Amino acid sequence: MKAGRLERTVGLVLGAGAIVSVALLAIGIAGMIAAHIGPLDRPFPPFDLQRLTVDLASLKPAGFLWLGLLAVILTPSIRVIASLFGFAAAGERRMVAVAVVVLAAICLSAALGAGG
Amino acid sequence: MAELLLLICGGVVAGAFGALLGLGGGVLIVPLLTLGFGLPLREAVGASLVCVIVTSSAAASVYLQRDVANLRLGMTLEMFTAIAAMAGGLVAFLVPDRLLAVMFAALLMYVALTMVRARDARDNRDAGGAPNGRDSGHTSGRPNGDSSGEVSPEAAERAERPSGGAEPAGSGGLMASLSGPGYRVRNLGRGVLGSLLAGVVSALFGVGGGIVKVPVMNLIMGVPIRVATATSNLMIGVTASAGALIYLFRGGIDPYVAAPTALGVFAGASLASRLSDRVDLGILRLLFVAVLVITAAQMALRGFG
Repeated sequence: MKAGRLERTVGLVLGAGAIVSVALLAIGIAGMIAAHIGPLDRPFPPFDLQRLTVDLASLKPAGFLWLGLLAVILTPSIRVIASLFGFAAAGERRMVAVAVVVLAAICLSAALGAGG
Repeated sequence: MAELLLLICGGVVAGAFGALLGLGGGVLIVPLLTLGFGLPLREAVGASLVCVIVTSSAAASVYLQRDVANLRLGMTLEMFTAIAAMAGGLVAFLVPDRLLAVMFAALLMYVALTMVRARDARDNRDAGGAPNGRDSGHTSGRPNGDSSGEVSPEAAERAERPSGGAEPAGSGGLMASLSGPGYRVRNLGRGVLGSLLAGVVSALFGVGGGIVKVPVMNLIMGVPIRVATATSNLMIGVTASAGALIYLFRGGIDPYVAAPTALGVFAGASLASRLSDRVDLGILRLLFVAVLVITAAQMALRGFG
């Protein structure tokens, strides 16, 4: 992949991620309104991957909200993965290593967060 | 319903302010949620990180497609911002809420002072007869390199190109591979230190950290302001997501609050990029400084009170 083309591709990945995230959040907010859920209602639904699929299947607002928030948080990681493949295709080993380290740092954050 | 609308509107205002003035919404979202809606500081920071990622992804997408952001430099530095954000995220859960509030107040005062100094520097430059064909506000008071980096693409497009400090690209090696057309990256070690600081600041306070990254890249590393702003914006996504993952798994993100706020911020930032030509940024900047000072005082009171 040529320099410039990689940037454009990665840019498209980020843009698509932002649009999908915002769309999912908007669906979740519409669900909140329909279900008369206020933003300050407590307790808020905790993040739980197993519950997420159940909530999505039953069209609960929490499912869409968490999926949207996950999409938001993971979009930069997807950008890094896209960059990694682009650098690999271009034979840029140093940048491949950089992308791997960035991904490792993000994974470590998730692991430390989940482990706490 | 009224609370939901208020939250979305608050997000719109924070996003618009941030985009118009070259700041992410973070510095306004955290006070909005804590002082305005009574949320615990950590939940406000978690929501703010989500907002920062959304706006970063949208803006960086444009920057990359316009070939403004330096992907290689950004990814190299974000190795360090991400690691530091991880550490900052962990520390945030150990620091007492009151201390965090006082630290946030100090950050707000720093941002306010930076903006005042930016204005003074611009005024001095104008008084000195420097060429200034454009509305001075359009450089958004980024005299020494846009104090934030989280700007709308349109605003960045107008940002002035640097002259001093940038060296011509040429030689091989790591620095050359990180350099771009018309400039050569230097002082990578100091850039790494700045990136570490930016990562901690981002995760502790729910901001993008551009207030550290852009000046470091521009003044220390010789990256043109326009490229530094765009590259910082690109890095913010990874930096904030490393911090946000800690908050996510530790129950620091409330989806009922984070989602509407993020939606509002996204809408506000998008709106601002279309309004930026019609707004007097000088007046807006003064207003923003006043808001920052008042908010800092309130946050400090919360911390000490």
